[in-house]
Amino acid sequence: MAETVDGIAFFLLAFASIGGAVMMLSTRNVVHAAFWLLEVMLATAGLYLLLDAEFLALVQALVYAGAVSVLVLFTIMLTLRRREDAVRPFEPGWGALALAALFGGAMLLAISRAQLPIGAMPASVPTTADFGRVLFTQWAVPFEIASLVLLVALVGAVWWSGGDRR
Amino acid sequence: MTFGAPAGATQFMALSAVLFSLGLYGALSRKNAVMVLMSLELMANAVNLNLVALSRFTDPAAMTGQYFAVFSMVVSAAEIGLGLALVLAIYRQKKTIELEAMEELKG
Amino acid sequence: MGHAALIPLLPALAFAVLAPLPRAWRNRLVPLSVAAVLGSLALSISVFARVWPGGHEAEPLVAFSTAFAHVGSAALPFRIVVDPTGALMALVVTIVGSAVQVYSIGYMHREDRIGWYFAVLSLFTAAMLTLVLADSFLQLFMAWEVMGLCSYLLIGFWHQQEGPRAASIKAFLTTRVGDVGFLLGLLVMYATVGSFDFATVLHGHAWEPKAATLVALLLLFGAMGKSAQLPLHVWLPDAMAGPTPASALIHAATMVAAGVYLVGRALPIFEASGVALTVTLVVGALTALVGGLLATVQHDIKKVLAYSTISQLGYMFVALGAGGFAAGMYHLVTHAFFKSLLFLGAGVIIHAAHTQDMREMGGLAKHMPVTTAAFGAGALALAGVPPLAGFFSKDEILTVLLHEHQYLALAVALAAAFVTAFYVTRLFFRVFTGPPQTEGLREAHVEMLAPMVALAAITLVLGFAGPAIGEFLGHEIPWPEPGVAATSVGVAAAGLAAGWWVYGRRTMVVNTRPLKERAGVLYTALALKLYFDLTYDHFIVKPYARLAERLAAFDLGVIDGVVNGAGRLWNVLSGLGSWLDVNVVDGAVNGAAAAVVAGGERARAIQVGRVQAYQALMFGAIVLVMVLLVVKGV
Repeated sequence: MAETVDGIAFFLLAFASIGGAVMMLSTRNVVHAAFWLLEVMLATAGLYLLLDAEFLALVQALVYAGAVSVLVLFTIMLTLRRREDAVRPFEPGWGALALAALFGGAMLLAISRAQLPIGAMPASVPTTADFGRVLFTQWAVPFEIASLVLLVALVGAVWWSGGDRR
Repeated sequence: MTFGAPAGATQFMALSAVLFSLGLYGALSRKNAVMVLMSLELMANAVNLNLVALSRFTDPAAMTGQYFAVFSMVVSAAEIGLGLALVLAIYRQKKTIELEAMEELKG
Repeated sequence: MGHAALIPLLPALAFAVLAPLPRAWRNRLVPLSVAAVLGSLALSISVFARVWPGGHEAEPLVAFSTAFAHVGSAALPFRIVVDPTGALMALVVTIVGSAVQVYSIGYMHREDRIGWYFAVLSLFTAAMLTLVLADSFLQLFMAWEVMGLCSYLLIGFWHQQEGPRAASIKAFLTTRVGDVGFLLGLLVMYATVGSFDFATVLHGHAWEPKAATLVALLLLFGAMGKSAQLPLHVWLPDAMAGPTPASALIHAATMVAAGVYLVGRALPIFEASGVALTVTLVVGALTALVGGLLATVQHDIKKVLAYSTISQLGYMFVALGAGGFAAGMYHLVTHAFFKSLLFLGAGVIIHAAHTQDMREMGGLAKHMPVTTAAFGAGALALAGVPPLAGFFSKDEILTVLLHEHQYLALAVALAAAFVTAFYVTRLFFRVFTGPPQTEGLREAHVEMLAPMVALAAITLVLGFAGPAIGEFLGHEIPWPEPGVAATSVGVAAAGLAAGWWVYGRRTMVVNTRPLKERAGVLYTALALKLYFDLTYDHFIVKPYARLAERLAAFDLGVIDGVVNGAGRLWNVLSGLGSWLDVNVVDGAVNGAAAAVVAGGERARAIQVGRVQAYQALMFGAIVLVMVLLVVKGV
């Protein structure tokens, strides 16, 4: 049997994520931008829920909305000498805008031509429990490698941001 | 797409394309290193959304896209951690996080 | 998994254990690396003994087989396969590798990064063994690249100094130029044949001459980079900045011979092409002669040996170009032994004399009898004096050339043999005779002498194993024919006599004057390395740097914006005016040059270190490709 994604919920969440992204790029205050990024991440978590990816939605909320946002805010805090430095003039970057628009346009054109399943999708069977089972059996090696990557990144981050040695 | 009609893979891909393009614009135009890193996160986020959506619409039982998204998240989490650490390290040396200050290569 | 798989695995494990350890532990675990390579040596001997009775008619021994990737439905196998050629090469690599590692214990014992040195040496040995025991071109390429990395690391071992660091980068980049050819060759090969396996590519496919020529020439280009053939030879003399034992193993005996090995393996493709064989012959002949000539004017003892290696590798290419697989491989084997012996001897000499400059050496024979004897054996083998191994293999190459009616190549090869004998004599007399210039000369320790004596012994007896080796490889290696042998010995004797006449009969400290006086222009050209480095510097490196400077200025101009804009515009206009003026006066020649410069400047504009510019460029290219795809409707 086929299932569908609720159109209204999708529309609202899509609006929230695109709107958040636009606001993040248009705001002149870096701190505000960080909060708008947080909003985009939460909207994406909602989209994951619509796609029956509960675990990913949770990870998205924890990692991106939680950890990454805090990290970004801390960095902003540590690199601002005065409160006023957070506000900076808007940089339009017309060339970048044109390139990004071209890229997005070409992408949308390609998507509109592609043969993709419309509306209906196959019934979803797996649960988070299934997800976990497969993750720790079939994907166990990549998972361990991923944890190693995180460990190395952690060590590297501590090394680079560590106190003044020089 | 009419408002309220069920959303399909096309809609998700279009949303992801728009988010990616916005992130690309930010990554190319901002002069603040932290803003660039945030834009990169936006791009990674769009990619993950694409992976999960296409996996859901084609072969949901395998969940391949979800696993990819998990590993992609790991990598981008590592990336932003290291990136921000680098920003801090550069800030300590140059007292600024403007990208222009980091251009030292003159060929 | 047969125990032959352990041959490359043992050194690889030694590297895996040593590499991650802290420096102090690594330095203490050096014996582990030596034990691993000695284990590999023992296994190689046992495997060789097992393969030997069957010779080339027996089925290759598959010791290990797995697939490291799947492309579509095709698996890319990773296999350790022992066939006669592989078994012989594995034996050579492990013997020389063991000798070098044992020797290095003595040579490197004062270095505080000795553990790292041994770890990289182990990794190199593992890669070289994987290369010779591969049965597909892809696996060969992978091992080839790992060896390139090890070579880079060892040349730059003393990376705190400017010279070794620059040399390591030069070696890496120059060989990389060749590797691009190799990689392209692999792609064309896969597109044509649909496989990388030796059996399928070499014997299971009917090669069209055109496709064969393309693949063979691309593979040859890769081999020329690795084996330091003209005009990609410039990195090898500089590579002598690395530790001497590493030079003995990597830049004399094994890695640089990998190019010869590759061409030897791919010889059926070359034969299907015909043209490629001729190119190989020409490249080899030119390199053999030019390398030998350049060796005659070097003052650095290691550089003499480096150019000698280039010249001898050219010899092997000549043999392969004439279709003499067995002759080329035979010379590879004998050269591996006597050249590594010469390098190890040079290491002892450098240790004793505290210099690499031969003008500051002399009279070492009295104080270092064992080294003198061993080095002398290696030198005579290099000169091609019977009954040493070098005589037999060089003679075999000359015989092949004679039988294939390549008389021009034969003449060049004989000239190269003369030059070889000449520079060997020069080297020997300068170093070992005459008045000593250094105080406190002492013979080296036993762990340095023992490997040299072993290699010298092999050099003494290996020549008599020629026919047996030929039968083992499945190609005939006959005993030397009297006529060819007499000619070759005569040429060698003439070279030795000439060397003695110029350098040996004077008892005073020899300097460069005798030769310089007699051949002024030629000497200067040779002393400047026949202008190869200067040419590259002048036409590639310097314009690059100049353009970069101008571009930096150009870039600043754009950023400074409108204020400077007016002045700059005037500047540009006047520049344009003068450019037109010069162009009108000087005509089309300058115009073409200016166009090239302008294009270069344009290309440099993006290399100013702005990450976002790179990113924009990348996405611009992606957009272009996407638009193309969408328009074409793929």
